[in-house]
Amino acid sequence: METILAGPANAVSQKVEHRAGKYLTFQLGNEEFAIQVLRVREIMGVQEITAVPQTAGYVKGVINLRGKVIPVVDLRLKFGLPELEYTQRTCIIVVQIQGAAEKLLIGVIVDAVSEVLTLQANEIEDTPDFGDGVATTYLLGMAKIKGKVKILLDIDRVLSSQDVSGVGAF
Amino acid sequence: MPEDQEQKTAGGVETPAAPSSNPLASDPELLNDFILEAREHLTTIELQLLTLDQDPVNKEAIHAVFRGFHTIKGMAGFLDLDAVRDVSHEVETILDLARNAQLAITPEVIDAILASKDYLGRWMGALESMLQTGRAPEINPDQALIESIRAVAKPRTEDPSPQRAGVEGEQPVVAAPVVPAALDLPVPPAAAEEPMVSELLDLAREVASLEPAEAPKISEAPAVVARSIKVDTGKLDYLVDMVGEMVIAQSMVRHDPDLSTGLKPRLARNLSQLARITDEVQRTAMSMRMIPIGQLFQKTARLVRDLSRKGSKQVDLELSGEDTELDRNIVEELADPLMHMVRNAVDHGIETPEERVKAGKPANAKVLLKAAHQAGHILIQISDDGRGLDHKKILRKAREKGLIEPNAQLSEAEIFNLIFLPGFSTADKITDVSGRGVGMDVVRKHLQKLRGRVDVHSRPGEGTSFLMKLPLTLAIIDGLVVGVGNQRYIVPLFAVREMLKPTEDAISTIRGREEMAMVRGTLLPLIRLHRRFGIEPRFQNPWDSLLIVSENGGKQFCMMVDELIGKQEVVIKSLGEAMRNIPGVAGGAILGDGRVGLILDLEGLFGTSHEAGSGGVLVDA
Repeated sequence: METILAGPANAVSQKVEHRAGKYLTFQLGNEEFAIQVLRVREIMGVQEITAVPQTAGYVKGVINLRGKVIPVVDLRLKFGLPELEYTQRTCIIVVQIQGAAEKLLIGVIVDAVSEVLTLQANEIEDTPDFGDGVATTYLLGMAKIKGKVKILLDIDRVLSSQDVSGVGAF
Repeated sequence: MPEDQEQKTAGGVETPAAPSSNPLASDPELLNDFILEAREHLTTIELQLLTLDQDPVNKEAIHAVFRGFHTIKGMAGFLDLDAVRDVSHEVETILDLARNAQLAITPEVIDAILASKDYLGRWMGALESMLQTGRAPEINPDQALIESIRAVAKPRTEDPSPQRAGVEGEQPVVAAPVVPAALDLPVPPAAAEEPMVSELLDLAREVASLEPAEAPKISEAPAVVARSIKVDTGKLDYLVDMVGEMVIAQSMVRHDPDLSTGLKPRLARNLSQLARITDEVQRTAMSMRMIPIGQLFQKTARLVRDLSRKGSKQVDLELSGEDTELDRNIVEELADPLMHMVRNAVDHGIETPEERVKAGKPANAKVLLKAAHQAGHILIQISDDGRGLDHKKILRKAREKGLIEPNAQLSEAEIFNLIFLPGFSTADKITDVSGRGVGMDVVRKHLQKLRGRVDVHSRPGEGTSFLMKLPLTLAIIDGLVVGVGNQRYIVPLFAVREMLKPTEDAISTIRGREEMAMVRGTLLPLIRLHRRFGIEPRFQNPWDSLLIVSENGGKQFCMMVDELIGKQEVVIKSLGEAMRNIPGVAGGAILGDGRVGLILDLEGLFGTSHEAGSGGVLVDA
């Protein structure tokens, strides 16, 4: 029994293993999203953002992160949700992503940060196929915790550098 | 005995760079130190060789070159780099003959030593890539090189020395005692005498500069010698960044509204003390990135020598202001344009000795490289006394290539500017060094990237002179902070000609769309920054706003902004990979209140806005 299943089970568990770990969850509209904690550098309140001309609409501009100038993206706009006035709960999550040449820091504006969750491999499911035309490549999977669904984001794909400079898709 | 070892390996035995059993040889840190140190020695060696080329009997230079190769040989032996050691050893042999006045330093000898130096330089590159990739270096021991060195090592016929005649081409027995294995052997007096003298001189200078109370310390010679340390440039850049932040943080505290009213004297005193210290720290941090331009000039010295030997021209290179310091980044960026210009000067500018004599000029041509500081900028002049630029030829070539209208009337300056156009070359034939029409446009691009400019002066028959003007550092610019709507932008001061508030009748429109402003009797195109950047301005009328007159490629234009907020020195930051090449934006800077302000790239703003990326991103601070 065991020997028969060993092959495929291993492959699956490896993929799932890769996704298991600690996640930071945050709210965007009515949905709960999660990104890997390892990618998060810091969380800060919304500060004044300097607009940069000729960038995509979801790029809010740049901020000063202790001497480094980093771009800030509004995830609501990126996901096509209506724009919302920033509140006390609005946060900028500074994440590190892999750019074309180097590691980049990018600020992501979300409605509110919720908590840090440890997700076991068996709590994570693959993204369901929504059929044609629904892009799911930027999703790592789904997790159901206490009856609520958390959407796990592949932050590299969400914020690939082309997208930020407004050249890419979306 | 090390000497035995030497005799075995230096005798022409080809030892491939096989992995050795020596644990030291595979220590990456040791190897890295070796590469760094050897490169320093190679630089000195080249410099001294060029001195020798001018002054073949310069004892001091011979000794300096000898010392360099000797040290490299010692270290290479230690690390089992046999090929490096063997070549160094052969060169050492020639130099030993030379310093005992048994071999004259001819250009051929210098060629051979330079070739060895280049070979060792390639080794260092290979070793470095080995450290990075883990692959073994692919350079093989160069027997031909060793042979060629030995060939020049034959003592001069006019200086017959029976002792040496028998050993030429073989392991020179005579040389062995004076080449100890660098590590453990006490230096034989014969070899050490001269170097010691120079060290003593150094020491004497040290002593002279010491306070009397410290005089006894001179007995600890090594402590006096080690006056500099190597620091990772990344760390240095980070330090400069952080110091910039500290300056901003300091100014934020100082201008805090809570502190501005009823400041107690003690706090005020402490705050201004803090300001002074911050200022001093910033200046020191900035100066740490400054290096003298001399090492760049030295590279051109080598180039001039190679080119003039190849093109059978006689060129004296004159250097001046080598101690002028500027930012390391600029020195690196300047290398290519400088090489191009020197190459052009020697290859195109300078005539053959026969032509020169016929024209009544000295057979030896002169190329002058000069650097100097001027009002926060550095000026670099490259002059030659060659044939000068030929107006007619330039015009003819430009017309042939369709670079200008067939009947265009151009001023002298405009004609000279044609040589900076891509694809332009006046060379009649293409040589392997220049004439392909790439070069001067590259020079101009590089200089623009460095926020510098280049001017040409030339007289037929008398020579050509290029004058480059560059900022001292790329890290900081003087800027005007301007406001448009609720945004602030920084306009680089070097791009600003003047600022004015126009009267209503100075503004006119063409076809109801294009706007022009009359400035000092000239109509200049008007660019509304708020339209370009899509922001809501405070003023719609140009006569309520401020016009900044700027120049791009010889054409002036006005940029309309709401107001001038102030003048500030800012540290330039790149917007990062994600926001590269935004037309009109050169970078970002942290303003006094900690917010980011965008630095405008006027050229990108005025130049065709659809030509994305042409604006160029400033180099990261």
